[in-house]
Amino acid sequence: MSETRVERDVVQLSAKHLSRDFTSRVPGRFVSARQVTHAVDDVSLDLVAGRVVAVVGESGSGKSVLARMLARIVRPTSGALALRGTPIPARAKRDLAYASMVQLVLQDPFASVNPVHRIRHSLERPLLIHGAERTQVGELASAVLKRVSLDSSDRFLDRYPHELSGGQLQRVSIARALCVKPKVLLADEPISMLDVSVRLGILNLLKGLCDDENLAVLYITHDIASARYLADETIVMYAGQVVEQSHGTALVDAPTHPYTQLLIASVPDPSDPTAVSARDASLRIPASASAGCRFAPRCPDAMARCASESPPAFEVRPGHFSRCWLNENDRVATLVAPLTRRKGEPTTT
Amino acid sequence: MSATIPREVQSTAAEGGRASTGPVRDGAIRESVLEINHFSVDYGAGENMVRAVSDVTLRLERSRVLGIAGESGSGKSTLVYAMTRLLRSPGLISGGEVILHVTDEGGAVTPVNLVTATESELRRVRWSHVSIVLQSALSALNPVLRIGREFDEVLKTHRPNLTKAQRRARAEELLRMVGLSGDRLERFPHELSGGQRQRVMIAVALALDPELVVMDEPTTALDVVTQREIIGELSTLRAQFGFAMIFITHDLSLLVELADEIAVMYAGSIVERAGARELYESPRHPYTLGLLNSFPPLHGERRELTGIPGTPPDLADPPTGCSFAPRCAFAMERCVLEKPTLVEVDDTGRSVACWLFDDASGSRVPVELSRVAPRAEAPKGGS
Repeated sequence: MSETRVERDVVQLSAKHLSRDFTSRVPGRFVSARQVTHAVDDVSLDLVAGRVVAVVGESGSGKSVLARMLARIVRPTSGALALRGTPIPARAKRDLAYASMVQLVLQDPFASVNPVHRIRHSLERPLLIHGAERTQVGELASAVLKRVSLDSSDRFLDRYPHELSGGQLQRVSIARALCVKPKVLLADEPISMLDVSVRLGILNLLKGLCDDENLAVLYITHDIASARYLADETIVMYAGQVVEQSHGTALVDAPTHPYTQLLIASVPDPSDPTAVSARDASLRIPASASAGCRFAPRCPDAMARCASESPPAFEVRPGHFSRCWLNENDRVATLVAPLTRRKGEPTTT
Repeated sequence: MSATIPREVQSTAAEGGRASTGPVRDGAIRESVLEINHFSVDYGAGENMVRAVSDVTLRLERSRVLGIAGESGSGKSTLVYAMTRLLRSPGLISGGEVILHVTDEGGAVTPVNLVTATESELRRVRWSHVSIVLQSALSALNPVLRIGREFDEVLKTHRPNLTKAQRRARAEELLRMVGLSGDRLERFPHELSGGQRQRVMIAVALALDPELVVMDEPTTALDVVTQREIIGELSTLRAQFGFAMIFITHDLSLLVELADEIAVMYAGSIVERAGARELYESPRHPYTLGLLNSFPPLHGERRELTGIPGTPPDLADPPTGCSFAPRCAFAMERCVLEKPTLVEVDDTGRSVACWLFDDASGSRVPVELSRVAPRAEAPKGGS
């Protein structure tokens, strides 16, 4: 088992300064103008074997574009990817070898499994494409169903997607990704379309794959509570940027960025009826390139400086980064200050 | 602006503001807006018949919020589609009645049984008195029509004496109520974000100031921050206009915050009905307990949660006894043989369909299901 141990800390996929811009035309009265949206702006992360990295953010924060860049379905505008230490040439096309290492699981299982083919087809096709013997694919397909705790009988393989529940279909979708024995699994909101009582089953499945088979997992979600449940490292994205990043449950337990605090306050939490109701988030502006902090127009703690200068990522404590001017001075004090003030307690200095 | 707010708003608005904070107990004296009695819905007939909703009895009082929680396939959407007579073949109402208490312009209240109502009666009631907001706003809004047309059609049909300019003014006012600017009327659905589209749906639903608004998972497709904003707007609108609401979702923790009363559905039947707080503080049905434990917490130690093992039953071949028995940790012999009925288990108006609470089964209620709600006066004796 020493091999597994070595495997555990290996950085499987590493992204450095990934950015992606989308250009669109805005029709004007006489001429149309070009508008550039920075969907993902300078994001770096490492996906390590046996660890789950969660990316949390709202719709439009760039989290899905990030996942698609990591799967090389979307080409980055700038930045570099390295798979197990080997740099990926920027202009190279995505090939089979890359696809067999990095697999993507999508949000809506009903839309991502072909409805006119049996489950068998969906599982055997990737196996055949990746060079498995035709005589063996049946066996391999039922083996992979077992790994996701599904009925691996022929009867199940011969079913059509409409005969399965959402939870079962998402497991099929994960099984399909596992067919090619990937090292990295990118899961883009895998539970948001599923029923509440089966969501934990899928999260536990991902955790199990990560722990037992040393998969590196990227878990994309807008549900910060599920990120806290699952992740070894959590990244919060806003308007394409990483605004806060930390290990374990630290990010949810002691958030230092006002946006993270807003996200946490938005989660329905009946255990705390006296909880501060969601802070005013009604202001919305498009994520265009402005000089200051992108969250400033919605931020309840915004200062004059926030509108003019973009904050860098401050390390508020080892391994915990926050892109907010509030964390600039006296790191430890400011880490506590915004939180205590919100709960109505006196600020300690 | 008050000139454009029609009819009985003034009288119900004040009451609505108070109603949302009041406890459930004074319920008996409150006027009901909707009564569902022994309502059943089938899909298909004969051998292939599937009973999607079986023997549901519910009552909703004016200006209050009833939450219906359940998973996909639990029959919650079928219930509201059938109740509003929107259900299409092969869906078939096989029994029961749905009484909507319609308040007309003079303030007189007439009961209308929606199950037996004719098309023309339905046309009179729909949208003016009961409206519906569907889960997928993108498929509910016509993709080739501008947003303004959605409002225009509703107002043209039900308020034929309004002029074009008045209709436009009303539409702009409705959009403002849900936090959108009037120029959105010129947009097409695809130009709006998911949250904006859902706001448009809510605004259209409120166009004729109905007494009852049915919301079928309106925030499920949205992210948490947008969901929080829309829930906040709904409370403001309810305080202002005092409409009653049926809110369907699978997110039980959201319902605990939003609803006055919650009905939990499983496999077509209501398994527990209780005040929102009571349900959260002291769930009685094992399925409710399981659902409440399916949400990873935001606080405390990180520990492994299991959710509910197994999958919901196939309604084409339902189990003989309690439909939850195969997944239930507390199942007894009786549970697989006999189907429990919904009975009141304490004097807070709470009803549970579970044999654990039947005195004749002689079983002891497990400790997880006998917690006492802080505000409940007298829970079931012996627990």
